[in-house]
Amino acid sequence: MLDFLDISKPFDRLDNPVTLEIERAIIRWVHAEARLLDAERYQEWLDGFIDPEIHYWMPDMETRRRDDPRGTFKYGESAYFDDNWRELEIRVKRYNEPSAWADNPATRHVHLISNIEVNATDDPALFAVCSAFTNVRNRNEADQDIIHGRREDVLRAVDGGYRLLRRRVLIVQNVLLSKNLNTFF
Amino acid sequence: MMIELCDSADIGEGEIIRVDVPGCPAIAIARHEGALYVFPDRCPHADESLSEGWLEDGRVVCGVHFAEFELGSGAVHNPPVGCPNLSFFKCEDRDGKVFATLTGGPEHV
Amino acid sequence: MCDGGCKGGARGRPNMAPVYPKAASYPEYAQLVNRENAQVDRRLFVDEAIYQAELQQIFARSWLFLAHESQIPSPGDFIRTSMGEDDVIVVRQRDGSVKAFLNSCPHRGNRVCMVDAGTKARGFICNYHGWSFGIDGGLRGTDGKVYEKDQAFEKAQIGLTPVAQIDSYKGLIFGTFDPAAPSLLDFFGPFTFYLDIMLDNDEGGTEFIGGAIKSEIDCNWKFPAENFVGDILHAFWTHQSGAQAILGAGVDLGKRYDELAFQASVYGHGIETNLDKVGNTRTLGYPELVDYVYDLSEKASARLGDLRARAIGAISSCTVFPNFSFLPGQNTFRVWHPRGPGKIELVVWTLVNKNAPEHIKEAYRKGVMMTFSPGGVFEMDDGENWEYSTRVNQGFVTRQQPLHYALGLESTDLERELPGHIHKGSMNDANQRLFYTRWAEFMEHDNWTDLQNGDTAPPQKSVKAAE
Repeated sequence: MLDFLDISKPFDRLDNPVTLEIERAIIRWVHAEARLLDAERYQEWLDGFIDPEIHYWMPDMETRRRDDPRGTFKYGESAYFDDNWRELEIRVKRYNEPSAWADNPATRHVHLISNIEVNATDDPALFAVCSAFTNVRNRNEADQDIIHGRREDVLRAVDGGYRLLRRRVLIVQNVLLSKNLNTFF
Repeated sequence: MMIELCDSADIGEGEIIRVDVPGCPAIAIARHEGALYVFPDRCPHADESLSEGWLEDGRVVCGVHFAEFELGSGAVHNPPVGCPNLSFFKCEDRDGKVFATLTGGPEHV
Repeated sequence: MCDGGCKGGARGRPNMAPVYPKAASYPEYAQLVNRENAQVDRRLFVDEAIYQAELQQIFARSWLFLAHESQIPSPGDFIRTSMGEDDVIVVRQRDGSVKAFLNSCPHRGNRVCMVDAGTKARGFICNYHGWSFGIDGGLRGTDGKVYEKDQAFEKAQIGLTPVAQIDSYKGLIFGTFDPAAPSLLDFFGPFTFYLDIMLDNDEGGTEFIGGAIKSEIDCNWKFPAENFVGDILHAFWTHQSGAQAILGAGVDLGKRYDELAFQASVYGHGIETNLDKVGNTRTLGYPELVDYVYDLSEKASARLGDLRARAIGAISSCTVFPNFSFLPGQNTFRVWHPRGPGKIELVVWTLVNKNAPEHIKEAYRKGVMMTFSPGGVFEMDDGENWEYSTRVNQGFVTRQQPLHYALGLESTDLERELPGHIHKGSMNDANQRLFYTRWAEFMEHDNWTDLQNGDTAPPQKSVKAAE
């Protein structure tokens, strides 16, 4: 069980299917979250989808030899996100400022989510959810940034719904081919 | 028949030296944890000199493509494609002189 | 026609000695910096010919930042980086020294190192034909048993082209491709006085936190470099949203701004600071860092004197000419690698004192991530400014209009006994004017005697009063 919450480790044992009913509910949750992020409704996202104990991590990728024990990324080193709830809230506060110039005029977003796999864990309240994404941002006339990656989420069942407890975002870019990351994944 | 190669004091712990024997291809001698090892000074991969490599954790490391050969068994690790094991000559330390049997070629000892 | 003795078209054997480029003189480019009227011509930011001249005159001659000693502690540890657009490997040698080489095989030119970094490398083998180079850059051998049988092949002459000079200053390793360049200390001149604010404020020295954030920005490299050399002014407008998010208020100048704030410049390197103790550190958003810097500042006044101790966490920024920048107090260190006139690759690291407690190092790691990385609440708003400052100059008429660099023309401070050219107030274009003056000196001069004795050279004066 603990392994699912240790953000430095990838998911293993992804062979625990859930009931069709739970799977449908979680897939609805994943799509609803993406729709909220597309609309830049960040405060609602924080209040309605994020667990107070969230750990949200997106490391930067290094190119290393296959036999390098450090690997492509390492928890505790540099990262794009390594946030708890308060830190996510700081980012959301910036978006809410009228002088957030990189978001004014507004950016147009699409979060495409696919390859969704929902798994039960040893804890009946926690679900291990994998997905892949395409994140498209376009602003001004022709500034376009596209980022592909995978997510490994742990969702907690709370009050008949779900909250994101852990998210590990692994993108495929080494040098980030964008001037900034004015979005969430 | 064993022939004399050099003084055993010429080879320090952890060192590989090259010895030229008239009429034979170059020979390499290594010392690891006191023991001596005699082998062709030629990597079985691409003929590079092994005496220009180094010893690491009981292995001879070729300095060119980094094949590693276990001292004693000659078993290869981290081999470039097609690299066979290394073979050794029988050798002994007699009264401070290194002797080895070079006729008949190296073998797994 | 080949009579059999023509060596397949060759007339002699290859001379594989390193080739270091010669500098030239481009007075027509130097004139684009109008020092009479404090204006800069926009062609500096878009013109391909000027960009190629920069690679020759500036990046092939200046001492450029390569790595922090802590990134490559053991023999064989290496990182791959750039000097200008040249790909370079920086390797710790068995004797503890550091060497750096062009990351290009002398055979067909392929990169011999494909990764960002590694530990305890035994050497570098080219994927193309298996040519193998030691960590000292020398050619060890080749694959296929072919060259060894070629009587004319002279292995001993061949190796990866070494960076001509390598030196380090208090943990930071620099290199230059110019064998004739003055020493690293001479290249800095008395600017080391200001570098020590971050590099020598604690007896244990410094280290980089692992990893590096790399990103591309479609801007000319000089816009971010001049931004860090002395443009605190932008913080109040550009970064208002970030300051609100973290501090719940705008950027604060400090109570004694008029009395304390200044800009200093030596050979185009520049720092601006408000000497307000913790203004920059506060914006990282972790109160324990503010406490740490207050304590550090008190202890450091014995090492650095009161003035520099006040600068450790103050509202401030710094660029080492041409493209290495950092923010005291926020501890972000970065290089703006040029990638053509309209693109950079930005690499960002976090610097901490080795002796800092682990929870402080962790707070810096997260604080820099939250502020000065691509998703950080401050850096978020920088990129678009620099991209459009660059891109608009594609307009033919637009780029005929010179840019205004005239803030603080009457602000020279002749009274404060500090090293370099001192100007009053940190909100000032003085350092940026001197940055572009230095740029013009590099364009104009083909020799270091002229380069080190121009208008950006430090005025001769005592610095004792500041110590």
